[in-house]
Amino acid sequence: MHEVSIAESLLDIALRECTGKGFTEIRSITVRIGKASGIMPEALLFAFDAVKLDTAAHAAVLTIEEVPVAGHCRICLADFRVEEKYVFNCPHCGSGSFTVSSGRELEMREMEVL
Amino acid sequence: MKLKVVSKILDANERMARENERIFREAGVRVINLMSSPGAGKTSLLERTIRDLKGSVRIGVIEGDITGSDDAARIDSLGVPVVQINTGGACHLDANMINDVLKELPLGELDLLFIENVGNLVCPAEFKIGEDVKAMILSLTEGHDKPLKYPLMFQESAALLINKIDLRPHLDVDLDKIRRDALSLNPSIKIFEVSCRTGQGIDRWIAWLRTSIS
Repeated sequence: MHEVSIAESLLDIALRECTGKGFTEIRSITVRIGKASGIMPEALLFAFDAVKLDTAAHAAVLTIEEVPVAGHCRICLADFRVEEKYVFNCPHCGSGSFTVSSGRELEMREMEVL
Repeated sequence: MKLKVVSKILDANERMARENERIFREAGVRVINLMSSPGAGKTSLLERTIRDLKGSVRIGVIEGDITGSDDAARIDSLGVPVVQINTGGACHLDANMINDVLKELPLGELDLLFIENVGNLVCPAEFKIGEDVKAMILSLTEGHDKPLKYPLMFQESAALLINKIDLRPHLDVDLDKIRRDALSLNPSIKIFEVSCRTGQGIDRWIAWLRTSIS
């Protein structure tokens, strides 16, 4: 729902990396987005294409790597990974007591510059 | 050429949230981020809470809305310091918006600051703003399916107020399911059944507030 704010923050980070280093153009940016981050990849791509205009990233391609939700069960001690966006019970023993180890990521990974 | 730039996209917000935390700590004020859907009763709860605590706890309020200042006017009429933020379309408050208005509040003279977030059951839960505690309201009329449909806010909140409890006889809502699902998402969440209209259950919320700010 707030993909535009996320796209703006991402663009800020990317442009800051270019400042003072002589890079004039950003060709691509790669990000990791957790499936439970609340961010829709299509909406982020759309928002990024809108905010990048008139900046050094105007021709940049955004690549999104989705990170599945994974966790560790406190009861049966299993590590698990699910395809769904949210996990309510341990898929092995059904307990509701577990920690989530990934799936909430909102990270920039790398960018290609000229 | 390729550059490895590993950084959290919301790092700027998290840094600003930590800065807000520092300012609040130095001023000695506890901060509650109050979240819910539109119309669940955030401002009504604040009105009740202010009336009950006025005289013993010095309260201030930051109101967040997309537009308008109706909520701030309601709080202002109770004689406590209030600042209205208009996000101009943004679906949540972020740490920067809070930082911008802090100078307009007498923080050193407050014990408790409520930040009423934009009415929205999704996005406010994603953004830290420098609060000590997140609290949320779900009104009974929203239905019993909400915890499992909007899990993040239930997972992030220390307290859940189930408001409009006086309407229970008129609704087909399964209150036990709300409690069960909220507790399965967040086993430590404190649940209060309240009615801001009749005052039912507000005393338990006030008692919890007093302990959590002392």
